[in-house]
Amino acid sequence: MKIRKTSLLFFLGPALFVVALFYIIPLFLSVYISFTPMVDWNVNRYLTQFVGLQNYERLFHIVMYDPDMRAVIMTTVVFVLVTLVINVFGGLLLALATYFMDEKMSAAYQGLWLLPRMTPIAVYSLLWYYFFHSSGIGVLNSILLKLHLINHPIALGLDPKYLPWGAWFIIIFVNGLVGVSYGMIIFYSAFKSIPRELIIAARVDGASTTRIIRHILLPLTKWHFTFVTVWQMFSLLMTYAQTFLLVEWRVVDSTWGQTWALYVFRTAFTTTKDQGLAAAASTFLSIIGIILGIIALKALGYEKMILEPKGDI
Amino acid sequence: MVSIRLDKVTKRFGKVVAVNNVDLEIEDGKLYVLLGPSGGGKTTTLYLIAGIYKPTSGRIYFNEKDVTDLTPAERNVGLVFQNYALYPHMKVYDNIAFPLRLRKEPKSKIDSKVHEVAKFLRIENLLDRYPHQLSGGQQQRVALARALVKEPSVLLLDEPLSNLDALLRVYIRAELKRMQQDLGITSVYVTHDQSEALAIADKIVVINKGVIQQEGTPEQIYENPRNVFVATFIGNPPMNIVKGTVLEDGTIETTGSRLTPPPAVLEKIKRLKLKNILMAFRPENAVVSEHPIEGRFSPMGDLFEVEPLGRDAVVTVTVGEFVIKVVMPTREAMQLRIGSKVYVNIDPSTIKYFDPNTELNLEYIEA
Ligand SMILES: Nc1ncnc2c1ncn2[C@@H]1O[C@H](COP(=O)(O)OP(=O)(O)OP(=O)(O)O)[C@@H](O)[C@H]1O
Ligand SMILES: [Mg+2]
Repeated sequence: MKIRKTSLLFFLGPALFVVALFYIIPLFLSVYISFTPMVDWNVNRYLTQFVGLQNYERLFHIVMYDPDMRAVIMTTVVFVLVTLVINVFGGLLLALATYFMDEKMSAAYQGLWLLPRMTPIAVYSLLWYYFFHSSGIGVLNSILLKLHLINHPIALGLDPKYLPWGAWFIIIFVNGLVGVSYGMIIFYSAFKSIPRELIIAARVDGASTTRIIRHILLPLTKWHFTFVTVWQMFSLLMTYAQTFLLVEWRVVDSTWGQTWALYVFRTAFTTTKDQGLAAAASTFLSIIGIILGIIALKALGYEKMILEPKGDI
Repeated sequence: MVSIRLDKVTKRFGKVVAVNNVDLEIEDGKLYVLLGPSGGGKTTTLYLIAGIYKPTSGRIYFNEKDVTDLTPAERNVGLVFQNYALYPHMKVYDNIAFPLRLRKEPKSKIDSKVHEVAKFLRIENLLDRYPHQLSGGQQQRVALARALVKEPSVLLLDEPLSNLDALLRVYIRAELKRMQQDLGITSVYVTHDQSEALAIADKIVVINKGVIQQEGTPEQIYENPRNVFVATFIGNPPMNIVKGTVLEDGTIETTGSRLTPPPAVLEKIKRLKLKNILMAFRPENAVVSEHPIEGRFSPMGDLFEVEPLGRDAVVTVTVGEFVIKVVMPTREAMQLRIGSKVYVNIDPSTIKYFDPNTELNLEYIEA
């Protein structure tokens, strides 16, 4: 079917407008700011000054010579990779577990895992603030003390003895718990959309549950796997809210608990208020994100999914 | 060489009783058709035999061996679904090989078996296609191949032809029947299409609301339905039902006409003290004409509609409160005038009598 351009615009127009307003324009603004020397949000003074690639040169310099920036990069890589694996495979495991439960059980179980995502970020972070608190009031500390595994309260995310692993553990744990529900929901609904007869047929053919998972459920949800992986990778690259609060509240170390996205946020708003540098770092992160996204989609075979048309729509 | 026996099998889903206290024996090597309306419990019965559902109560036997607690694989059944349920991500070859691979049979044996069954069903040239590259009829064959390659002791088919066009359906059902006879495999075939059932069944089991209504050969089911449900479910159009009043003198009166029932029927009417009775006759056992015919039971009515269907026509007559359909030669039917007074001349020997309370055929009530 041929669709006329005007009607296409009519239907897609509102969505395009929203995308432009909330995504494209801020993106351009941020790229633009990265070419200005803006600090302290002094828009009047700096917005029209143009410094070329100076901010990028500064960023490059920091990356090369500032050990704290090395920490940021290492933290980002470890955080994104480990949390991604936890998110995707944790979500997959939860989806599989709930798929083979009866409906009521699985709904309750899924609700439980959705709680972290439904809880406001501040409340959720506060929960873990108390859990990982470095004094005796910290839940983790009091449990470990009760079990006589430690003699004094420990500061897992702060004490240099445990760094960087302590800080990494906390931010990965806290974000991983929020993220698994996403994969769980997507995978679960993907499994549910597989015709029931296919599963029955496999059972009749003599397949055990593990075989059904391996030969039917997983191959038929490859694209969902791709999608969840890429999507989660993007959101993990960009996320900072929980981590920001944990850093601000002094639960995790500000050096080893700081991902690139958080570095951008703190540079722009709390530490040096150097928006020009922050914008450059943010643009750089976007470019890395896009490159990684393309690599991931290629590696996981996204093209094949969108090419083969199933006939005229 | 397997016969199947269901012993007082009930299956509940929550409050719904899908299969209710079913006793059924399926003879070795025969093709049984489960026939009934949508929601009647056909698929559930089939899945119970397959071992996909466990009965809520009752036992299932294969050859006197209790298989109630065995898995589908242990029962060694082949199952063909209405939507074929081919694995969409596997080529035809892998679809057929799948059950053998799960049994961990050696590669060469798998290969020869797949080719053998593919040859038998004439799908050898399709082996390296994906299911979505096949037509409905081809998919149906592949599904059949996947069921047969296991050399199952029982073949179960759930409305296997309902996704095909009418012409192909008639063609493939004949093939299916041939194949079943050649292999001599005990088969249970589910359909809600009564002409399909009549065409291929050794025995038909009519099932409604989870209860077996009648079990018998296609002839028995067609000629002598056990109750009103079967009478009005089988046949196209199905049997006509007319209600009558039993008079003092032993005759039956309906819409102004009188009929003397056969002595055996009369005796049962008396014994059951029936005041009313339901009479049923097949559309092809009556003729509509302008004048009553000698020796026939001929209630009078208004000609409502004549639908020519080629050689025969369906003639609709309203007789009192009843709508009656008659199948007769188109040539004769076209002589009649719509709206005119006509007689429905029924062959009295073909009339079946039903108790209006139990809706049972009097012939099936013990004397
Ligand atoms: N898994 C299930 N859970 C709950 N109720 C079910 C389930 N399967 C079947 N039923 C109910 O049991 C009854 C019989 O269903 P069944 O599928 O056996 O009918 P059927 O004769 O195969 O009908 P159709 O011709 O529409 O396929 C229906 O009322 C149906 O709603
Ligand atoms: Mg069914």
